[in-house]
Amino acid sequence: MQIRLTVNGEERVVETTATTRLLDLLRTDLKLTGTKEGCGKGECGACTVLLNGQLVASCLLLAPQADRAEIITIEGIGSAEGLDPIQESYLEAGAVQCGFCTPGMILASKKLLEENPRPTVEEIRRGLSGNLCRCTGYHKIIAAVRLSAQKMADKGEGKDE
Amino acid sequence: MNERIIGKNLVKVDARAKVTGRALYPDDLYFAEMLYVKVKRAVHPHAILRKLEISRAQQLPGVVKIITAADYPELNNFGLIIKDQPVLVGIGEKMRYLGDALAIVVAESKEAAGQALAQIRVEVEELEVIDDPRRAMEEQAPLLHPDGNILCRHQLNKGELERGLAAADLIIEQEYKTNRVEQLPLQPEAGVCVYDQETGVLKLWVATQWLHDTQADIAQALGIPPERVRIIQPVIGGAFGKREDISVHIHLALAALATRRPVKLTYTREESMITQSKRHPMIIRAKSGATRDGYLTAWQVEIIGDTGAYASSGPAVVHKGLYHCTGPYNVENVRGIAYTVYTNNTYSGAMRGFGATQLAFAYESQIDILAHRLRIDPARFRYQNAYRPGSSTPNGQVLTDSVNVRETIKEAVQMSNWPGGVEL
Ligand code: FES
Ligand code: FES
Repeated sequence: MQIRLTVNGEERVVETTATTRLLDLLRTDLKLTGTKEGCGKGECGACTVLLNGQLVASCLLLAPQADRAEIITIEGIGSAEGLDPIQESYLEAGAVQCGFCTPGMILASKKLLEENPRPTVEEIRRGLSGNLCRCTGYHKIIAAVRLSAQKMADKGEGKDE
Repeated sequence: MNERIIGKNLVKVDARAKVTGRALYPDDLYFAEMLYVKVKRAVHPHAILRKLEISRAQQLPGVVKIITAADYPELNNFGLIIKDQPVLVGIGEKMRYLGDALAIVVAESKEAAGQALAQIRVEVEELEVIDDPRRAMEEQAPLLHPDGNILCRHQLNKGELERGLAAADLIIEQEYKTNRVEQLPLQPEAGVCVYDQETGVLKLWVATQWLHDTQADIAQALGIPPERVRIIQPVIGGAFGKREDISVHIHLALAALATRRPVKLTYTREESMITQSKRHPMIIRAKSGATRDGYLTAWQVEIIGDTGAYASSGPAVVHKGLYHCTGPYNVENVRGIAYTVYTNNTYSGAMRGFGATQLAFAYESQIDILAHRLRIDPARFRYQNAYRPGSSTPNGQVLTDSVNVRETIKEAVQMSNWPGGVEL
């Protein structure tokens, strides 16, 4: 069967099957390997992508469920010219160790900051609660999200002036 | 040059690739004509393999090759310290835990390989499953390995235990048990192998912690010189000790040799948990003596480390635990014995702390109980027994530098507003 979807702003038509997971469609058919598989069971959040603006575990969705959907993966964050402020913050705060959780964490951070531009530490913890990190102990990830909020606020103020 | 590095925050070299999703982990590599590998695992934790029926699986569409021990009778066992782990279990041989490999399926897709696994028929003769190391240590227990279930014994003797016990006003004896712990790096084991037919070199992209030991072990298992094995380290998705052992490596090499095509093998999370190492569960018996004014005089331990079906780093891990039996506390008279024991559990190996972690549960509990019974503040009790320069460890190392545990205790007491408010 054929499905049609927009991935990182680009329209794609993909030949797939009714039982292919969205995760495999992204990683194997489209070679967007930034989306990771940590458990395949909806537990770890490494496979997180945005589907029509919602955070989803792509290991739990079948490819046909993404027909006509708009998907953002980690490859769609930032641009060729520069990093997104969230990516910059993860770098600067030292929130990246092995990096296997990082793509999912960044997408979850993006969604969180869109809904709540000035989250408290408690709100950050809750916002990222679907994503496991085994390396960092989370402190620096929380620091990265706070730094992102700061950077985005500074940019916003800059625009107003 | 006046560029200063110390005291500066530097961005990790590969962090940019990681935040953009461009860092390549082993499962992210694709080659033209690549095949997918899956492994048929043991069906019982302790059994003799009697029959392995692969013909039906072999005929499924997309299945390229199914490899069993019969195809490679010259394979050698592998292992970090002791070569006790088979690459494939052959007919008449034993499976010793649920992670043992019976057959390697190579197929055009993951799905086809998965379907073939389900069609492989296995017949076994079941043996007693030994999941408790104490049972394994009994005289009449069935042997997991020909040389016995006690893989090794380590001993420790410092001072004169009896004299230390005689000098004590209080002696306590307790038993502690720690759990099996999964290291759980977020990336499951994965790898790709390409066999270069011109040079005869097997190129492997596998995240691994001991590049050169792993290379040597793969080569000796296959019976080829190490220069024919090349390991290329991709980005590692966490390790924590779990990637010290061989995982996908040798099975990938066999699949590449048999099909002459690039091959990929990625474990599921369940497979990673069942097949690869864990932190050793330990049974620790500790007997400790102290004087009325709160000074340790004697310490005796017996440690049983469950190393599971294969040795892995077990002998070193349990041995190290023994050396740490008194933690950071100075005791003049110490005696200890540690057993590293085979069972039918998933094998135990390295995990952060490498044996020292388990012992902390026992010695810190002993210290608390002693302090409580002697009515001495536990912070003070720790402080006055802690190592200072010149103290010696249970294995006789005299400590000269960086002996800061007393300062640390002092600061911790202050920072935590310890309710006893002890003056140290
Ligand atoms: S891989 Fe999807 S949640 Fe873990
Ligand atoms: S950085 Fe390794 S899992 Fe988060």
